[in-house]
Amino acid sequence: MAWYQIKGAEADTVISSRIRLARNINGFAFGKKLTEEQAKNILSQLEQALGADFTRTDLDALSPTAARALVEQHFISPEFAAQKNPRALFRCDNKSLYVMGCEEDHIRLQCILPGLALQDAYRFAVACDETLDAALDIAFDEKLGYLTHCPTNLGTGLRASVMLFLPALTENRMINSLSHQLSKIGLTIRGIYGEGSAAHGCLYQISNQITLGLSEEDILHKLNETVQNIINKERELRARVTGEAALIREDRIHRAEGILRYATRISSEEFFSLYKELKLGIAEGIITSISAETLNALLIAVMPAQLTQNEANPPKSIAERDALRAAFIKKALEVKPHG
Amino acid sequence: MMKCEKCNEKEASFFYEENVNGEKRSYHLCRACAEELGLITKNKTGFGEDPFSALFPVGYGNFIGDIFGLPQSLGVKAKKCEGCSATWQDIAKSGKVGCPLCYGTFGDELERSIRSIHGNVTHVGRAPAARLAALEKKTRMANLKNALKTAIETENFEEAAHLRDEIRAMENGEKE
Repeated sequence: MAWYQIKGAEADTVISSRIRLARNINGFAFGKKLTEEQAKNILSQLEQALGADFTRTDLDALSPTAARALVEQHFISPEFAAQKNPRALFRCDNKSLYVMGCEEDHIRLQCILPGLALQDAYRFAVACDETLDAALDIAFDEKLGYLTHCPTNLGTGLRASVMLFLPALTENRMINSLSHQLSKIGLTIRGIYGEGSAAHGCLYQISNQITLGLSEEDILHKLNETVQNIINKERELRARVTGEAALIREDRIHRAEGILRYATRISSEEFFSLYKELKLGIAEGIITSISAETLNALLIAVMPAQLTQNEANPPKSIAERDALRAAFIKKALEVKPHG
Repeated sequence: MMKCEKCNEKEASFFYEENVNGEKRSYHLCRACAEELGLITKNKTGFGEDPFSALFPVGYGNFIGDIFGLPQSLGVKAKKCEGCSATWQDIAKSGKVGCPLCYGTFGDELERSIRSIHGNVTHVGRAPAARLAALEKKTRMANLKNALKTAIETENFEEAAHLRDEIRAMENGEKE
């Protein structure tokens, strides 16, 4: 099962944890200077190094919808989907490892786990990194650490990130000040689909900005500690909702549930705003008939490419797609008779 | 009068906004500092600075060249990376290096921008196993030599002989 189909630790506030390591191979140029032949060479070296546990998917062989679906699952970056050079995703689902070959760097190794699990994700990523290290001539400099295409990734090449659900902080308009505080300690907050994406459904991604001069342990420790503080603040704000405000919130949550269960057309934008209510309802124990796992899976499953990629008759208009989404949600949230 | 945020002396006449990883920062700078940072072109032709250079938003991709300024020495202009034949101009323009060897070729030029990004220029943390072993060996050798020096200085000759043997054994191991 993929990260989004499982309920992890701190599920009321944390969706997932991700570790990404940027690595390159000596003797090959970066980016536009890398020839097609060299890119293919890197991909076959990578395939051999990773071994039989990994399945190779060449991006050129995929339809734009299939590539988009991988972006929606967070297995590849939007940039990787849009690139034109030979490139491939190597995936090992049972270890939650996804390796992009010939993205901005020759190797972008990532591990995504549900809930707050930075240490575990790091452990899996490092095990894979050691395998690559043994088989490939990895570009490394004693002073600058792992060498990368962009100097922003130098050193550890590590980007650790946690996807958080922060409705109370959002409602209390505290995200801007949080963002400001995070930037002071070398961390950054963004929307869920990376740079520039809007914060849909009160979902945010917090990650380290600095990769050089701090050890991997220090980076993870700082991020973990900060995330814990944010979780505590979010919970504290949620708990402050009492009396009339709690009644209003409960009503809002059940109305959202009603729409999700019975509406016949739902846009992805509307889904995000309803998701936010439902997710809060489940986290606060207001909704008990829908599991956290079901809602997590739904978050990815209703994205445009995920929704349509396996359809025999793909929707021809946005309205049709919205209808398909509503039908899918209705089915996923169906109340199953007990017993 | 608003003072330049960099030199804190002259009057700020340029407003500069950057966006790094979605984080917006803005600065008020004086002409001299803006020139020094490469945000506006120096007046070389007698026609004044390029009127547009200060107006174009500086993107994430080219901040190395734009924020930190292009080194103007002729030596840097002529230098090319052995690995990918990138010039400093190429790197400054894209904000990214051409290949792993660029970091060696343009080490001095890159150092300033790397420091600005990360606040330092020295890696702490993991290393490929082979490199780590070599590093550990180097450190162990340095430690042994230091200990030998101390042993001789303190006339602890028995210890010194023991350390000397250990150093020799390590050196012989390297040759094999």
